[in-house]
Order: sequence, then C-alpha cells, then structure tokens
Amino acid sequence: MTQKIDVEKIIGFTGYKKGDFSVCLGCKICASVCTLNDFSMHANPQGLLLKIFMGDDSIDHDPLIKNCVSCYRCTDACPWQIRVPEVVRALRESLKLSSPFEKAFKGSISIWGRVYEPYIFLNAIGFLIKNGYLKHLMKWTEYISFHLPHKIKRI
Amino acid sequence: MVYSYYPGCSLTGSAKRLDVATRKILTGLGYTLKEIPEWNCCGAVEYGNKEELLKLSGENLKKAEGLSKHVIAPCPACYRNLKESDHQGIFHIYNPLDLFDISKIKDMGIKRDLKNMLFTPYYGCVLLRPKETAIKNKNIMEEIITGFGGEIDGEKIRDRCCGGNLFFSNKEMTEKCVGLIASRSKGIFVVYCPLCHMALNTFSERKVVYITDIILYILGERKTI
Ligand code: SF4
Ligand code: SF4
Repeated sequence: MTQKIDVEKIIGFTGYKKGDFSVCLGCKICASVCTLNDFSMHANPQGLLLKIFMGDDSIDHDPLIKNCVSCYRCTDACPWQIRVPEVVRALRESLKLSSPFEKAFKGSISIWGRVYEPYIFLNAIGFLIKNGYLKHLMKWTEYISFHLPHKIKRI
Repeated sequence: MVYSYYPGCSLTGSAKRLDVATRKILTGLGYTLKEIPEWNCCGAVEYGNKEELLKLSGENLKKAEGLSKHVIAPCPACYRNLKESDHQGIFHIYNPLDLFDISKIKDMGIKRDLKNMLFTPYYGCVLLRPKETAIKNKNIMEEIITGFGGEIDGEKIRDRCCGGNLFFSNKEMTEKCVGLIASRSKGIFVVYCPLCHMALNTFSERKVVYITDIILYILGERKTI
C-alpha cells in the first residue's frame, strides 16, 4: 500500500516548520522510552522523522504509523521536546488512515457539533463486529445512559 | 468567583457519572460553576491537522469568555486541547484534580475511610504530558487515598500509557498496554480519564473507579467504591 508522502502537507498539519526538526540530535532518547519498545516493536521515532524529512515512501511500513499511542513519552524525554505523536497523527491524516470509528466521530461533530456516542456506535457497527469489539459489551454496561443528541446553536 | 465549566462529550454520555460527581465535589469545595453555553466538541485526538483541532477548542474559549476566563475542564483530552488553544495565555484553564484539596474535602464532612483497601492511582498520559499542559499536583490521587487511610501500589506504572488512544482503531495495542500496567500493579485502579477507565476496565479483570467515586464514598454519598 505504498503511497507517495507529501512532506509539506504533513509538516503543515503539525504546525511545525521544516527547519524545526533540524535540531534533532539523533540521540534516540525517544526510541529508548517509546511505549512500543516495551513490547519489542522496534520503534524509532527519530528514524520516522528522518524518513519524513527525506520524503521516504517506505514510511508506511513504519510500526509507529499503526501503533503510536500518542503517549508523549518521547516528547517528554527529548532534549527539544519534539512532538513525534503529532507528526504521526499528521501522517495518518495525510495518508487517510482513519478507522470507520474515527470517521463516525467526525461525522457526529459535523451534524451536532458534539460527539453523540450512540450515533458513532451505530455507524461503526460493521467495523466493531468485524474486529471483535462486541465481546466486550458486558463490560460496557456501566457506560450506557440514555440521552438525546444536542445540536449546538450558533451564538 | 464564577468558573466556566466545560463538560465535554464523554461526560454527557459514557462518563456521565464523572460529570455529576465532579460538579458535586467542586460545588462542595466552594466553586461556582457555569456551563459554557452551546459548547462544541474539543476534537479529542481525532484530528491530524493541528490547526483544525485547536480551532474547535478556540471556539469554546470564545463561548466561555462572557462567563469567566477561569475555565474548568474535567476530561483530560478536553483540558489539554483547551490549554493548547489558548495561544495568548489569557485564560486560566484547570483540571479539577488541581482544585481538589484534601483539607477542604475533610471540611465537607467525612463519613468513611479507606482503611484496609489497596489502590493503584493511575494518571496515564494526557494529564502528565506534554509538560506544558500537565496538571500541577501530580500526587493528588495518592494524597487523597493515603490521606484517608488507603494503601497504594503501582507507583512505576502510574504514568505509563493505557493505549486508549487506539482503542477504536487498533485495540490489540490497547490490550498490550493494559496488560503491562495490570501485571505491574495491584488493587483497585483509580483514574480520572474516561478513556483510561474504559481501556483498563475492558482489558483487565480488576475494578476501575474514578477518584471522584472515592471522594463521594468518603463523604458518604456513595454506598460502595
Ligand atoms: S508518542 Fe508514539 S512515538 Fe512517542 S513514545 Fe509514545 S508511542 Fe512512541
Ligand atoms: S530524543 Fe529528540 S533529539 Fe533525540 S533523536 Fe529523538 S527526536 Fe531527536
């Protein structure tokens, strides 16, 4: 599924400027604290930044794209506080990798201005069934409360 | 002083209990809350385009301005987004954890304690990172639990990630994260984030509660934890 990556677009999404990443020291402290490496997933946030910077199209095989949990442990430990998870989210958006659940989430915002959970649940039901979410339903009973959606008014 | 209150979407639905308890406790502590009129979703972490994301919270700050520039946002994701969208730093944005105060809770009238109970206070990521938006008192849950006689475990994993962010796109990752946290801690999980609650509750066999459940239990307003 190799897609061309649009470096300008990704960096634009993050709010960074290209030059902001040139401060990266290559020290890989980010990799040493990355949550993914608790599970031996060979994640290297610095390597990902470098690939984006070089416009490397093999980037979509990087384990961070699918698995970065946005924990900001890398950012916290980085001498420059570089926000790798925001780069990953920008990359996901530019590669249009959002799940049906995430699409339904934005759909709800565009209808009501808020997230209405039953709408998202129903819209993503196919995805939830296919991916084995329904077996958790018993654990979710405490989250269920009945309320109607509220459409926000312009003020 | 009046505080603008931003409940956020989860707190109107799956985390309604957190909303009710937070309002009750803050009111008891002397805060006057006014809900921001016609507030909109903060966008959580679903937007890859940061400008688009922060615009949503910027709207909410505009709607709050008429009420009070002091804004309280319980949900950690909403709290962080609001804080980040305040580019000029003209608002004061608080998470209730920074407003809970054990001596003032004691003044509200204590009915029970937490003796012989073991807890893992779990903060997760959003309340603690990045540094710019972190809560100030990073020990508040421990202070409350031990202050009323409860015991603490899981110090090493309190700031690890629950993977909740990927709950609805790649739950295998969430399951791994929760597995690690559960294997290195004991007792009842205590959280403040609705997403952490859902992740820990779904993928561990342990009880998960909000810190507000504990406060209400101590105050005698909840029968069990
Ligand atoms: S935010 Fe992503 S890249 Fe950074 S440490 Fe966490 S999982 Fe790794
Ligand atoms: S920790 Fe920061 S400076 Fe060091 S390699 Fe990672 S991104 Fe670069």
